[in-house]
Amino acid sequence: MLLEERLEQLKACIRRVSPAEALARTDAGAVLIDVREYEEIAQGLPPCAQAVTRGYLEMRISDLAPDHDQEILLMCAATTRSLLAADDLHKMHYTNVAAVEGGFDQWKAEGLPYVIPALSDPDSQTRYLRQIALPELGPQGQQKLSNARVLVVGAGGLGCPAALYLAAAGVGTLGLVDHDKVDRSNLHRQVLHRDDRVGLGKTDSARLTLEALNPSIEIKTHAVHLSAANVESIFANYDLVVDGSDNFPTRYLVNDACIKLGLPNVYGAVQGMEGQVSVFAPGGQPCYRCLFAEPPPPELAPSCSQAGVLGVVPGLIGLLQALETIKLITGIGQSLVGRLLLFDGRTCRLREVQPRANSDCAYCASGQAFPGYIDYVGFCQHREESEGVDQD
Amino acid sequence: MIHIELPGVLQELADQQSNVEVEGRTVREALDSLGRRHPMVLTRILTRGGQLRPHVNLFVGGRDIRQGLGLDTQLTDGDELLVVPSVAGG
Repeated sequence: MLLEERLEQLKACIRRVSPAEALARTDAGAVLIDVREYEEIAQGLPPCAQAVTRGYLEMRISDLAPDHDQEILLMCAATTRSLLAADDLHKMHYTNVAAVEGGFDQWKAEGLPYVIPALSDPDSQTRYLRQIALPELGPQGQQKLSNARVLVVGAGGLGCPAALYLAAAGVGTLGLVDHDKVDRSNLHRQVLHRDDRVGLGKTDSARLTLEALNPSIEIKTHAVHLSAANVESIFANYDLVVDGSDNFPTRYLVNDACIKLGLPNVYGAVQGMEGQVSVFAPGGQPCYRCLFAEPPPPELAPSCSQAGVLGVVPGLIGLLQALETIKLITGIGQSLVGRLLLFDGRTCRLREVQPRANSDCAYCASGQAFPGYIDYVGFCQHREESEGVDQD
Repeated sequence: MIHIELPGVLQELADQQSNVEVEGRTVREALDSLGRRHPMVLTRILTRGGQLRPHVNLFVGGRDIRQGLGLDTQLTDGDELLVVPSVAGG
């Protein structure tokens, strides 16, 4: 049978809707699926459409339309692939499937809304090809990454691997806060820096590496010591914060500012061969203060320089933070909100526990007015006096 | 038998053991048992007044004991008691 004959057969049994009708149907709950290839999507995509290439349609359809009676509208460039795709979905017992007559060409001709995805330039089409091919991500996910503004606090053991992979993944605006300079003792774990940059500001060094890796994104650097006085003016320009700091005062400050500004806080911390990861959601519980109401006395909280750290451990934890960040931006999977992951490098064991949401938390409890920033250094030093360890 | 899982920082005070097996019907009893064997470890978990230190979390079956009965949380044979202190390294 010739293709033309096949299409005539399909037209006789598959419902077709105009682009304008398709747009109206999506408002009423129909799922519009654009089955064109990535290079075609680069010419434009209806904002209400899910981009799933023809080759992945059968594999993705149960995610997009768990209910077999869900109305599904299929669109290609004209009306050929959409009819063939509709036929496949009929065979999978989807009962309410239609093809968009004239496809995206007609959609565009009628002046209906569309966006140019981030991967419209040849560099992006190639650069992100392998991750766009992931059905869960696709061009829409890449667009979300491109639009995202992520701030990484600390260009150290956690911030370096996190920023490296977020830049590689195409996070459109990536900020880094760090007031420190590169030291040779950093290089075993802080993989954005290099031996010939010892003495250079960490944010400057990070910028060089990240721009060399991905010149298509914007790197913003904040070579300052994060404080209650500057935290809001810096955080206000971002959608999400990755906490890769290396001290308790900054961690409590990051927590409080994220709550105040309604930003997700992707938490990671390491010591020795162990690490912790979680996500503190904006407007929800628990937060970092629910998990750890107070810092330990300083003598029980050695820094990496005092306690030692195997570079791979913050590498792994920083990458988990990058993963959680990408998931939050794109909506993929289940985030670590309400869950704390504990990694032990000695055994390579990963445990998951449920942190408590403290209903009395002064910062994140429901209906709680923001109590204000505090003297964070004093707060962390004070513990030495009130919570000192028995030395007997 | 209760399995107390210690973080690296406390293993140094417990003859390098990561898992200490103790008897106890409650978290407090299990910690008392741990303290008799490794007194310095206990000072890192409880205050002088016998309260759980604010920077330490204890999890039984993945749940924070502060969410329930705290140190009076009941334990059953085979339970794992996870000690998770706050760390800040990065």
